[in-house]
Amino acid sequence: MIISTTWLAEYVRWDAPVEELVRRLLMSGLNHEATWQVGADTAIDIEVTSNRPDCLGHVGVAREVAVLFDRPLHIPAPRPLEANLPAAAAIAVEIVDSDVCPHYTARVIRGVRVRQSPAWLAERLRTIGIEPVNNVVDVTNYVMMECGQPLHAFDLAKVRGGRIVVRRARDGETFRAINHKDFSLSSGMAVIADAEGPVALAGVMGGAESEIAADTVDVLLESAQFAPLVVRAAARGLVLMSASSYRFERGPDPAAVEWASRRAAALIQELAGGEVLAGAVEAGALAGGRATIDLRAARVEEVLGVPVSAGRQAEILTGLGFVKEAACSERCRWQAPSWRRDVTREIDLVEEIARIEGYEKVPEDRPIHAKPVELSARERTIRVAGEVLVAAGMCEAMTRSVVSEAFEATQSPWTALPPRRVSPALVRGADRLRRSLLPSLLEACGHNRAVGAPHGDLFEVARAYLDRGRNAAGASPLEEPLLVSLVVGGPYAKAKGLAEGVIRRLGGVVEFRRGAFDLFTPGRAAEIVLERAGAEPVRVGVVGEVSDGVLSRFGLEGPVSAAELRLDLLEISGSQPRKLVPPSEFPAVQRDLNLVVDQGLAWAEVERAIRGAPGADTTLEGITLEQVWEDAQRLGAGKKSLVVGLRFRSLAGTISSDESKRLIEAIVASCGRSCGAVLRGG
Amino acid sequence: MGTVSLESFRADVESLRAEAVAAFGAAADDAGLEQARIEFAGAKSGRLKVIQKLLGGLDGADRPEGGRLFNEAKGAITAALDAAQVRLAGAAAEAAAIDVTLPGLPFRLGHLHPITQTIRRVQEIMARLGFESVDGPEVEDQWHNFEALAIGAEHPARDPLDNFYLAVAQGADPLLLRSQTSTVQIRVMEQRKPPLRIVSLGRVYRPDTADATHYPMFHQVEGLLVEPGATMADLKGVLRFLASSFLGGDVHVRFRPSFFPFTEPSVEFDMEWGGRWVEMGGAGMVDPAVLAAVGYDPAEVSGFAFGLGVERIAARRYGVADIRDFYRNDVRFLEQF
Repeated sequence: MIISTTWLAEYVRWDAPVEELVRRLLMSGLNHEATWQVGADTAIDIEVTSNRPDCLGHVGVAREVAVLFDRPLHIPAPRPLEANLPAAAAIAVEIVDSDVCPHYTARVIRGVRVRQSPAWLAERLRTIGIEPVNNVVDVTNYVMMECGQPLHAFDLAKVRGGRIVVRRARDGETFRAINHKDFSLSSGMAVIADAEGPVALAGVMGGAESEIAADTVDVLLESAQFAPLVVRAAARGLVLMSASSYRFERGPDPAAVEWASRRAAALIQELAGGEVLAGAVEAGALAGGRATIDLRAARVEEVLGVPVSAGRQAEILTGLGFVKEAACSERCRWQAPSWRRDVTREIDLVEEIARIEGYEKVPEDRPIHAKPVELSARERTIRVAGEVLVAAGMCEAMTRSVVSEAFEATQSPWTALPPRRVSPALVRGADRLRRSLLPSLLEACGHNRAVGAPHGDLFEVARAYLDRGRNAAGASPLEEPLLVSLVVGGPYAKAKGLAEGVIRRLGGVVEFRRGAFDLFTPGRAAEIVLERAGAEPVRVGVVGEVSDGVLSRFGLEGPVSAAELRLDLLEISGSQPRKLVPPSEFPAVQRDLNLVVDQGLAWAEVERAIRGAPGADTTLEGITLEQVWEDAQRLGAGKKSLVVGLRFRSLAGTISSDESKRLIEAIVASCGRSCGAVLRGG
Repeated sequence: MGTVSLESFRADVESLRAEAVAAFGAAADDAGLEQARIEFAGAKSGRLKVIQKLLGGLDGADRPEGGRLFNEAKGAITAALDAAQVRLAGAAAEAAAIDVTLPGLPFRLGHLHPITQTIRRVQEIMARLGFESVDGPEVEDQWHNFEALAIGAEHPARDPLDNFYLAVAQGADPLLLRSQTSTVQIRVMEQRKPPLRIVSLGRVYRPDTADATHYPMFHQVEGLLVEPGATMADLKGVLRFLASSFLGGDVHVRFRPSFFPFTEPSVEFDMEWGGRWVEMGGAGMVDPAVLAAVGYDPAEVSGFAFGLGVERIAARRYGVADIRDFYRNDVRFLEQF
């Protein structure tokens, strides 16, 4: 809302520089956007929150200024000189759909001379950014910007049949607006029609056919109330926002309908001559009763934490137009003015008092007592995962939750159901809620390669959005598992090592099983399965080498590996910190084993056999796979050799050479039994 | 009478001393020096030891003077040996020296995203006052995103163009990506009784065209306190504590009246940053209608809430001019934080 200070001064004097005016308005709820000069006038752009349509006119702002500076407010009392002939002799008004228009009034001014507006009027309009048109149209704009009530002037001669009909638009009905564009209407909108068809889009814009022109003689002046939703539907639906629609969407003062009509008729008469027919033709009635609100004087301090005297409370409310119903002290009954329909409750009155009294009076040094608080398991889980990956040299990325169809065309490790769609798209083409973070991370990785960044090893902690399908009973229709995903340059083992690091730190015990996923090279991917006490094992992750096709799609070069883990399923349980297992004070014994096994045997089988050997549980400190080699000549076809490093250590005492020999024998035997392993050179 | 005259003893001591000092000084390496040390200062048959034995042959009256001469020479020889040892050690060190200005072995440090770092900082500050971090779903229903927050069906904030609605079956209550984290506050209040101190944080979504200061997805941190007798003075105190801890020093907070459907009174709060007032976020007393909607009695408890846009304060804190940079995930950007 742009204010002309010259215009504002017509209603109130504030005796202070513009900077001080602006500051006080800012501190009482009208944010300052900018100030600039227009000729001798000063324009102030203020931001009016949606609950304050009363400040979408100069009078409303003047009322605030009057209260803030404790000055009298002068509002004109317009009295057009009316002829004897009633307006009803010239026009009939009918409201067909009262839900779109509760109140409609029409006045008639006959025999006007349409010409340029006088300088004072043209200048005020120019200050607030409205280009003058002619004296009749300018008056309607002026009065709108004065009291916030939009008006429309028709050329009465172009209103066919001498009738105004206010109704919902018909689907497909067409209308040519003042801007000479044609619009196709729908029943969510409302029109002003004459005997034949629409002459205005209610609350939004007049029609080209009936606009005020140089040859207009008789004027029909509309002042009415339209339902906010209907006006919004039209303005949004047709992308036809106007100063009028802006105000109707927020709901102007219902009582201003009558005042604005009188004010505009008087001004038209003054500037364009003519005779004003007696009265207004009305349909419907002034809507919106005034709220009656009880205010306990003590309540103000209970909310603000600082006292405001009952006398001061009354002074502020009275200045804002509230009316006290009777003498009172501790508890007063107030009637809200018609232009403040946002104020209906005691708390609303408290806010009025607070914003005028000034929030700078609220102290900022009231002590707040501390309270113990703990991080949730989910929060600790997120932090642990981040710590591990940051320690491993990864950078945390943040990518969009909503992605393109191409990203979601690949399979999700978490659901077989398709992605849910949102409207509008988050950014162009991105309208699908993602079911995996991996495509987004691969894209970010590709970006880093394209710009020549030092690396593109990224991780992200975020959610996927999974349709629960038919299992939604009672729960939210979508599940939002918390994931950590990572993409790293290097083979399968690289991503696997990072995934294992996170899982181990979270205390999870998992198994890696051969799996197949769209993004990964066939045969080079695994699903990660969590063993759970008393429940079925569950998939908590996938890991693999990104396939060549996917790499080239994202502009990457292999090898690149990636993993995605379900943090919600791997969540740290309990809030107790880990308990120390004291390290043994005795020396370790290191032995290497060279086992020959079938080529297709999984390492996990060998490791399980080693760990399962008698005595291993209390003595085997570490297993490392030192080397794997195949040689048909030396090992035989279909065989491979595994060089396994074993480190033994006991908490009970030094492991003797006899003891270590027995342990090795037991392990070799166990591997022989479970995996058909043979000790090479044994 | 002694068998050795003081004069000849003096001459022997002087010449031994001169020879030893010369030999130590001439030693070119550790082996040469060791050889000289054995010759002159060897514990069993070094020449110093031999000459010490001559002391006994001096006349009784000459012995004190002889002893003094011997000790003086011994001191000088020992000092020369030490000096030679230091000299040779220095040469060895020089030969083994490295260029200490060569670069250290690089290792790669990972980095948390600056948005995460900013959120954590706010969380930590609020935790000192007992505010617990909470989270909730991003896909929300009408009740939690609007109705419980006193945003009625006719409110423009519910317009389809101002929200990301999910496609749903005809007649079903449309779901949407949450437009604020206040939804989480509603969910927590529905499940717990006051007193309550929480911070809800996470991603929120609004259909803004992406530019230097807007992005359709961003992060919010929202605080909520519900206790008997909570006032706006408490709100201001908490925000000042947050501002002072976050920015450092004694920072003042300013309230400007504003409007939000779910708080009454509503304010925007500014903090003094770099000598000027900077808009930080919105705040206010929880609207009694919101307290009633979650089953609290507005006569018994009151509360306040505040919200911050994380991207905005992170951008300011780190001097990021274009908030889209937070989502480009360029490692050269991420590694700076």
